[in-house]
Amino acid sequence: MTVSATPDDANLLVHAYVDGELDPAHALEVERQMARDTVLAAERARVETLQRLIRERLPRERAPQGLTRRIEAAIGVPQAARGASRPPWRALAASVAFAAFLASGSTWFALRPGPTVTVADMVVANHLRALMAPQPTDVASSDQHTVKPWFVGRIPESPRVVDLSPQGFPLVGGRIDVIGRVPVPTLVYRRRQHLISLSSVPSSASAILEAVPRAIAGYNIVSWTDGGLTYWAVSDVAPSDLDSFAKDFRTVGP
Amino acid sequence: MLVEVGNKTPKKASSTTAAGAVGRPSSEQDRSRFQNVVLPHLADAYELAYWLTGNRADAEDVVQEACLHAFRGIGGFAGINARAWLLTIVRRTAYAWLKENRSAALVMVDDLVAVEEKQAKQCTASGEVGTPEAALIAKADALRLESAIVALPLPFRETLVLRDIQELDYREIAEVTKVPVGTVMSRLARARHRLSASLAVDAP
Repeated sequence: MTVSATPDDANLLVHAYVDGELDPAHALEVERQMARDTVLAAERARVETLQRLIRERLPRERAPQGLTRRIEAAIGVPQAARGASRPPWRALAASVAFAAFLASGSTWFALRPGPTVTVADMVVANHLRALMAPQPTDVASSDQHTVKPWFVGRIPESPRVVDLSPQGFPLVGGRIDVIGRVPVPTLVYRRRQHLISLSSVPSSASAILEAVPRAIAGYNIVSWTDGGLTYWAVSDVAPSDLDSFAKDFRTVGP
Repeated sequence: MLVEVGNKTPKKASSTTAAGAVGRPSSEQDRSRFQNVVLPHLADAYELAYWLTGNRADAEDVVQEACLHAFRGIGGFAGINARAWLLTIVRRTAYAWLKENRSAALVMVDDLVAVEEKQAKQCTASGEVGTPEAALIAKADALRLESAIVALPLPFRETLVLRDIQELDYREIAEVTKVPVGTVMSRLARARHRLSASLAVDAP
């Protein structure tokens, strides 16, 4: 069995299928082709094996300690303006303003008075803030039975915490975010080195129906409603990965 | 477009990466925007630079230089996709660095594609290079995986790294590598094919 080095279209579509790049109609067509054609089915197995190998065995190359500090120094960020001396509320406010600025699409538009800050903007701002903080979580644990009780007494209702490590989304921990003026539980999961923030907002608190953008400032967003709660998943993982995360979270029992 | 096919002793990276403050006076607003836009994606930037240059010290130099470019250009960032924007700058900086430090080891992409096709015809004719079964590939350990990726020609390597390690989608890869989506798809397929073949051949 040989494959030419100029892969034909059917072959390329198998790769696109595995990468989650096809719309449902094309995906169905490729699935039918793979069922008929063993060469294409073997190609799929190879691509999936390769991706699993890279995900599970290839060590990630981490940025060296202090790189951020050196770069900040190079662009002239006063060292006093970093870290603890900057009040968290100021960074959060800046992030919200910044996300709103990005959402508005252009400087011209941002200069117009009062663009509405949506829930989507706020969850992205919370996620950004978490990425920039020393820790993205208030409670760091991969154990759902540690994370869930942590929320008790801090917010009215503890969120549903599920173990998604078999699906490739290990739990990192949890934190409390603020959406509007409501403190909400946010779970943090990981996909390789990318973090996913999952906030659950009581549906009444986000009652205003807004068109949910698929992405803000390069961060993908998936939102769904379940049992009186609106869930918001935000991450810089690929949209297809975030979709499977949402699907897995909904389907896996606690 | 240039492609690296081998190694030569690199010169020291250019002095613009030094940690001194940038000459041009810039506003607090630019700095704060830089911190919001660029810093969250620094890990990705460093990782891409590592796979393009092949070692940690050069990767750090490239990332520092790319960040200075990003800082100077922060006003022009359209606010759509910060990660893809930064990775584009990192890639451009890494290519400039490779051109400067490994110029003898660079060939044109078109030449590479021609070589690929010629080799493919020969292989098909002689039936030498088979397509390995998934089970054979699955035995590879981290070290062999890494060296097989490093051995990929640059356009294939960067496409594979952006997709299978950094998990960008095809459109983002097309944006970062400045080629049409169709080219991204064929490069990715070739990269994966080469990688599976070399993992299977090296198998004990």
